[in-house]
Order: sequence, then structure tokens, then C-alpha cells
Amino acid sequence: MREQYARRTDDLRAGFTLNGDGIACVEARSKLVDDMLSRLWGAELGREPGAGKRVAVVAIGGYGRAQLFPASDIDVLFCVEKGDPPKEAIRRVTQALWDCGLRVSPVTRALSDCERFDPDNAELGLSLLDRRLVAGEAGVFARLEARVNGKLMVRDAKAMRAELLVLTRGRHAKYGETLFHLEPNVKECPGGLRDANVCEWLAALRGVRLDDANHPEFRGALRFLTAVRCFLHYRHERDDNVLGWAAQDGAAEAWVGLGRVRPAAGQPSLRVDAAYWMRAYFRNARVVERCLSRELEAVGLQLIPTLPRKLRLTGQKAYRMREGRLELEPPAARDPAEEPEVVLSLFGVLASSGVPLSHDTEARISDAIPLLSAHLEEGPGLWLKLSAILTGPFAGAALRTMHALGVLDLILPEFHGIDALVIRDAYHRYTVDEHTFVLIDVLHGLQEKPAPGAPEWRTKLGQMARELQHPALLYLAALLHDTGKAMAGGEHAKESARMAKAVLERLEMDAYYAGLVLRLIESHLEMSVALRRDIFDAETVRVFAGKLQTHEALRMLTLFTYADIQAVHPDALTPWKAENLWRLSMNAANQMDRSVDEDRVRARQTDDRIDRVAALLLPGRKREIEAFLDGFPERYLKTRSAEQIRQHFELATRFDQEPVQIEFKHGQAMSEITVVTRDRPSLFAAIAGALAAWGMNVVTADGYADGMGVVVDSFRFTDTFRTLELNVEERERFVVSVREIVSGRASVEAMLAGRRRARRKTPKFTVETRIDFDHEASTHSTLLQVVTQDVPGLLRALSTTLSGLGYNVEVALVDTEGETAIDVFYLTRQGARLARDEEEALKAALLGAIRENAM
Amino acid sequence: MQKIEAVIQPSRLDAVKDALVELGVSGMTIFEARGHGRQKGHTEFYRGREYAVDLLPKVKLELVVTDDMVEQTVNVILAAARTGKIGDGKIFISRIDEAIRIRNDERGDIAI
Repeated sequence: MREQYARRTDDLRAGFTLNGDGIACVEARSKLVDDMLSRLWGAELGREPGAGKRVAVVAIGGYGRAQLFPASDIDVLFCVEKGDPPKEAIRRVTQALWDCGLRVSPVTRALSDCERFDPDNAELGLSLLDRRLVAGEAGVFARLEARVNGKLMVRDAKAMRAELLVLTRGRHAKYGETLFHLEPNVKECPGGLRDANVCEWLAALRGVRLDDANHPEFRGALRFLTAVRCFLHYRHERDDNVLGWAAQDGAAEAWVGLGRVRPAAGQPSLRVDAAYWMRAYFRNARVVERCLSRELEAVGLQLIPTLPRKLRLTGQKAYRMREGRLELEPPAARDPAEEPEVVLSLFGVLASSGVPLSHDTEARISDAIPLLSAHLEEGPGLWLKLSAILTGPFAGAALRTMHALGVLDLILPEFHGIDALVIRDAYHRYTVDEHTFVLIDVLHGLQEKPAPGAPEWRTKLGQMARELQHPALLYLAALLHDTGKAMAGGEHAKESARMAKAVLERLEMDAYYAGLVLRLIESHLEMSVALRRDIFDAETVRVFAGKLQTHEALRMLTLFTYADIQAVHPDALTPWKAENLWRLSMNAANQMDRSVDEDRVRARQTDDRIDRVAALLLPGRKREIEAFLDGFPERYLKTRSAEQIRQHFELATRFDQEPVQIEFKHGQAMSEITVVTRDRPSLFAAIAGALAAWGMNVVTADGYADGMGVVVDSFRFTDTFRTLELNVEERERFVVSVREIVSGRASVEAMLAGRRRARRKTPKFTVETRIDFDHEASTHSTLLQVVTQDVPGLLRALSTTLSGLGYNVEVALVDTEGETAIDVFYLTRQGARLARDEEEALKAALLGAIRENAM
Repeated sequence: MQKIEAVIQPSRLDAVKDALVELGVSGMTIFEARGHGRQKGHTEFYRGREYAVDLLPKVKLELVVTDDMVEQTVNVILAAARTGKIGDGKIFISRIDEAIRIRNDERGDIAI
């Protein structure tokens, strides 16, 4: 029998190699084992006719489904109606099969043991859902059928479904809740064969069969995965279901699962690329995953355990929540699935609540893609919708669904190239698209409250994430950061930035915001690179900080790098690495504040950046732009685009017409005003005062001066009372008013008097005030850092105090982190650094000003 | 056989690894570590708050080599890990009684 088994096994392998039909292979092996088991049991009955009385030999589990993979175990139930089981006969049969090289797992049970589901022995209960009589008494099997169908699957269906859900959740958690692994396990991973089994069991428990007629897509996926697992068993010669890189190459070469017969040796062959073949794998795994979700939905279950069952959906009538799912209203004059506004708003709700879409809604949206495409309008409206999705705590889930349905590719075609893309390296666990979604999940995870006793870096990074001024920009950069991997070549960061530029243009994003996104994408590997150097070395920190220039960019890159490493695989970000990341961020932040006054533009040196600005001007004006830039801090040059610098330069050439030149940009969330004028005492304080008088809250600001005394002061602020948003005509009056105050033609004090009473809000956190001086950071200025509660009017209070005491602000860097204002000033008095004995008096004056402003 | 434990700056890891591989020593275990010797820690200020940096990031390499390779291995680590600054790290050497390869039960020098 052993030889016969070996010969027929070889035949099966040859057949599979030739035709690639996995289903035929597993059925044939089941049949082969059936024959052997029947013969062996028959022999036992012949040896001792009474031994096998009232015993049914039943194939269960995978063998019961007639899906015996080449290296699978064989589960056999010896079902005894009554009396003692024929132990010796069972032992001899099992031994004979083992001697043939089969791994048999026999189990002996009385009929009455098979009618109840025991959660402590869930495996047996579940394996009974797939059962076939192989040998023994048909009458016993008929009674087993009656008990399983009539009792087990009816009375205990709920308990079995609950157990299936627990097992599935545990298995999915082990694989990071995603099917998009670079080297997936085709049996255990989400979307794998075990999930396919779960689908069939859930269907069976509600009396349904997932057959070819009604579920052709599912059966097709099952055929594909079955072929792949057969291939892996033959290749590995054991029950090893990991689809590693070498196996992927082999499977692609053999066209496994692609439904074609591999050309015979010597025949011309079309090569199938492994990446292409893997996309076929992921496509089929997705079908299984969606089928699982549908089967769970059919019985009111969900894989994610803590989602709300009810939602308050106000102000819209195009969708609703029903049975734990979001669903579009039925089509009326026009199907809401064809309206981009409705569909994106629906995904916004998914992103904020985590509640999945119903399968009918998913199907309608997927079918409506061509019409959605025709109706889609790009520009700021689209960005508003997209940013609402990106900033929702369940953004990852929303983006995955959008991607699966084709909506993400519709609004960001750049994403299509990394769909299920496998890039082989020693570190990544997921496909490029899934890595991106995991990264976004990690970023949102940072917003959650850290566990008690969490390390300092976790608390600080969480705070950093919560206090980001423009979180949507970080998420957008995260979404696009690896799109360049779709193109061949080594420098994917640059390629991703190039592709992102087109996206930002379509969204008509403000130049400042677009610059933040593009710089983050282009430099998204910089921090990882710096982490491989000595992070306590001043030069390493200087170079790293020099590439970022602003705290906002540093914060975004720190959070991005944290999430990017974490999204490589669950163990990639060790506490050691995370702490180093935080230390580097801290050192770079300190470096940024302490170095800005020292690094100045020297126009005589060759500089590409100056050439780029000169290229935007009429020929022959390079000398003028060089003279304008000479003496500005390097940071000015690095944080402004060539076009912005050109505009500032042009403004500076018009001083003879108007000595205070202003550029103003109104934005929905943040506005920006830039004043270009000649330096004079109290200038910074005057601008800050003008903004305070209009009720504007300064979020960031910087003020720089060049060697000829030309000042460029920029303030980004929020409009506390929405004055400029609701009254468009007020914008012009605002600019005129700022100009009047800055030029001394109007009094800021008179305007401020009427403002003070209506503006105080109770702070969420109390920030302790801290004032520090650093006399070493600059060779000719003293650095003053004020950290305090962010209150409207603060900047004006500080800068007025400084100018009132005769200090000149050489450089100002104003920043806000949540409720904390961090204002850095480089001060001189009569062209020199402060004397150390001035510190106490200045500190007392500033503390007094802060107190008075807060009252 | 002797065990060499080297505590080095993380930024020198790649250089040390490459040098050891070039010497023919490819088996090593690397640990992410923290600590300080004479280098001690220091205090950093960040956005108005103080942070103690008392334990500094280090990398610890462990490798076992035959007696005749000890001197060369140490020299290679010294050359690749040295920056000349305080905090470059230390090397510790100790005797090993036996090495056993789990896969095939080989013992002694052949197992390392």
C-alpha cells in the first residue's frame, strides 16, 4: 500500500504540474486517501466482523471538504453509536496510514458527543461542519448527520459563530489585520484559505451554500488560492504556506492559479512578472476578505469589535446607518452613489466613526465610478472633503475602502501605481499601499492617550501630534510619500514629490501649505538617515536642522518618521529607536532657535538659490537681488520659495511710492501678512499690535532684516472673530489699517482699547511661563526664549516691552504648539549683545507684560 | 575561544560590521543598548522644559572567535569604532568553555 500511495502521489504531483488545477489535485488526494481508508477498514471488518459494528469512519475538516492538500494532515472521526470503540482496529488502521507516510489525526467520539458545541474543543465542533462518510456503517453516519444538522448547527449556531469570530479576530490580529503582506501566509493571513473556510461555515450555519452559480467570484478566488497552496506544498514538501519571494517567482513562472496551462518544455512561453502575479493573489484575497465581511454582515457581526451601532447623522439625507453599517439611500432621480459630494462625505463619516459601508453601498459606489469621475470637481472643495477624511481617527479604514472601490484612484490617480505593489527588501512586511495606510493608522494612534507609565518620548510625540497646526497636510504627505515607488529608479522620495506637486496643483493648495507637503515628502528619509549618525554630534544636528529650517516642518517630519518606521513592521520601532528619534528632534529644535542669527546669506558666494530668484526677474538684475539678500539669515532663503523672494524684492523696490509695502493672503484656516519696509525701532511690535487690534491671533511669525536695513516680517494668524472671512470688503481696510499703524500714521492703542474685554477664553491647559537667555548662540545678539500660555495679544505685549526698553529685535521666531507660545527673539541694544546684569530687569518686565496681557 | 563584547557608538555600527565581515568574522549578535561610562549624561532644554539625558544610546556587539583571531578582531573594532571623542565605548574579552551548534550538535571551534 505504501508503494501504491507513493506512486499515486507522484501522479497527482505530475498532474498538478501539468494542468495547475488545485481543486482537482486536492479532490484527487482526498479520493486516494478515501480508497486507502476504506480498504484498511474493510480489512479490519474482515479480521474481526464484530469490531466495526455501529461505527462510521468519517472524514472531517479539510479532508471532510475533500480538500486534502499535498502535505495536509488527515482528520478522521471514528463515530461510535454505542458501546466501547474498537480501539485495536482503529489503532491498526491509523498505524497503517502513518506507515504509508500520511499524518493522520484520528478522533473517536460517541454520537451523543457530536451534537453539542464545546467552546473548549472548538476545533472538533467546527471540523464537524465538513463531514463525509468514508467507510463503516451508513446508518450511523445518517444519525450523525441528523444530530449535526438538527441539533449542533441549530441549537449552537450562535455559539459557533461567536467562536468563529473570536478565532478570526485573533488570527487577523496576528497578521496586522491586513492581507497585504509582502510574503503572505496563504492559509492563515486575512483573505487566505482559512477565511474562505470561515465564509463557508458561516454560510452553512445559515443554511446557504456559496456555490458557483451564486458566488462565482468567491469560487474563483478559492480555486486560485487552492492552486497556490498546492504549489507551495509541493515546492516546500511540507505544510508550509508562506508565499515567500522565491516561491512568488516560481508561482509566476508556473502561472499558478492564472487558469492557463503552462507551455510544455521547448514551447515559447510568456513570462509573467512576479509583481503582476502577486497583484492577482491580492485581488483574489480581497474577494475572500470581502466575502467574509459580507457573511458576517449577514448575521449582524463585525470584525472590529468596538464600533458604534448608532450614529447621529445631521444635515444630510443621502445616507443613513442601518444594522451597524452606513448605507446610501436608494436611488431616486439620480443615484447618490454618482455624486462625488455625497460619496466623499460618506467616507468622511466612515473616517470619523469607523462604521463600515454596507456591501450594497460598496457595490453601488464601485459601479458608479465612471459617473463619479465625470461629476468630480477638483480644487479647494475636493481638498476640504479629503482633509476631513484624512483627519478622521479611522482615516486608514476609510482610505482602504476608497482604494478597494476605486474612489481613491479616482481622486488621486497617482496612487494607482502602488496598488498592491510588492517591493522586496529585508525590512518591509506590507505592500506599498498598505504600508501607507498603516502609517496613517499609526499617526492617528499617536493622538490616543498614552498608557500609564508610557515613556517620555511617547507622551511628547502624542502631544506633538495633537498640537499640529495643519494635521491634514501631514496625512496628505503620508498618503503620497511612496507613490514614487511605482516608478523604476532609486530616488523614490524625489519622484513622489514630483507626483505630489501635480496633486497639490489640482487641489489648488495655498503655496505655503503646498511647500510644507512637498518638503516633507522630499525629505521623508532625512531623519532616518540622521538617526544612523551620532545624534549628539553638533554637526550632525546642524546639518539635519538646516535641511528643515522651521519647527513646523521638524514636527511633521518627526511624527512622520516615527509612523513610517512603525509601519514597516510591528517590531521595527524599538523603544531605543523611538527615544533616539525624539532626542534628535529635540536637539534639532534647539539648534533651529539658536543658530538662525549666525548663518547669514553672503551674496558674493555662488548660490543656486539666488540664481533661481534672478531667473524670475528681467535679465541684468542679479546684482540687485544679491544686494537685497545679502545679510539675511540663511533661514529666510531656505524657507521661502524663489517666487516669494522675488515678490519681496519687488516690494522693496517700491519704497519710493510707499515705504510700508504689504502682501496679504487670506486663507480659510490661516491667513498670512508680510510687511516689507525699512527697519525702524518698534517695527515688529507695531505689526503685532495692529494684528492684535484687529483680533487676529498670531500662530507663527518670523522677522528678518538684510544688510541694508530692509525688513521682511511675516505673520501667519487665525481670524478669531472671522472678521475677514465674513466681510470680504474688510480685507482691504485691514491692510490699510496695518499700513497706517506700521507707518505711525494711526495709533494702535486706541484700537486696542475697544478689543480687550471680549476676547478671553479659559485655557484647556495651563502653561507655566519660562524665560531664558542665551548669550552663546550668536556672536552679536542675545537669544531670548519666552515659553508661556498662548493668549491673544501676547506677541504685541512682548515686542512692545522689548522695544519700550530700547531693545532691537534682530530676528524673531514665533511659534505656537497647542496652547503653548514659544517666542524666540535675537536681541541687541545699541548694536551689541545684552549685558548679563540686564537679564533680571528684562525678565521682570516681560513677566509683568505677560500677566497684564492675560488679565 | 573567546567572547568579545564591544559597546560602541551606534553611528559606528555599519563601519564596524563591514570591517569585521572583511576580516572574515560574519557571525555576531547586536543589541540596542543604553548606558554611560565616564561620558555621563547631560541635561537638554526643549521648548522651555528640561530633559535629563542620563543614559546615552549605544550598540553592543557580541561575537565569539577562535583564540588566534582575537587580536585581529579587537584591532579591527578599535580602528572602525574610534572617533577620538569621549563616549567611543569599550571592549570586553572573556573566555568561552564550549560552543555548540544547535542544528547538528557540532562542538568547539567548528561551531562558531
